[in-house]
Amino acid sequence: MPAIATETELEAITADKIVDARGAACPGPLLEAKKGIGTVPVGAVIEIWSSDPVTKSDIGAWSGKVGHGFLGVLVADGYERVFVRRQK
Amino acid sequence: MADTQKADTQKLVFMVLHGPDHPEHATIPFVMGCAALASDVEVVLGFQAEGVELVHAGVADGIHAPGFPPLAKLLQDYRELGGSLLVCGPCINSRGITAADLIEGAEVVAAGRFVAEITSATNSLVY
Repeated sequence: MPAIATETELEAITADKIVDARGAACPGPLLEAKKGIGTVPVGAVIEIWSSDPVTKSDIGAWSGKVGHGFLGVLVADGYERVFVRRQK
Repeated sequence: MADTQKADTQKLVFMVLHGPDHPEHATIPFVMGCAALASDVEVVLGFQAEGVELVHAGVADGIHAPGFPPLAKLLQDYRELGGSLLVCGPCINSRGITAADLIEGAEVVAAGRFVAEITSATNSLVY
């Protein structure tokens, strides 16, 4: 699923919740994202931190499957920040 | 009687035929099952042949395939997400395993139940 926010727009987002899944192997980051998004209201954004480079495509596919908004990815120091908006 | 698939939901059945001697084959169906449950897909894990050892209490604790979470963690996640565990009755009988030896939530079934689950699923995969 393609990102819908630019890097500049992502940098400006203050996530409602950060899910730190660094070091977790598949499917850990996905399961943590699932748990995390259930704790924020519809319209809120969660940010998943993952050191697994496959996570961004996994979260993108998952977002499309379950109906959330995959906003995009920012590269950090040794990990990636994946942004998802809860849409239902 | 087997549960029927809800009209607006998808269901996947993963048949697990490998046990502790094949950690990767034993682990991947749990990985897939957890990912499917997290994606709002109903999941049944069906254990046959050597696969029944994985739901023998305590066995999963010693399985950790490289690159994946420990099987015990995946099993915990799978159960928390609401996945089903169906176990082949003749397969446990032939190994001297009783229903009381299985992990909590594992249900002993026979071929007819597996057929009902598979024919009502969106898709089925064998590991």
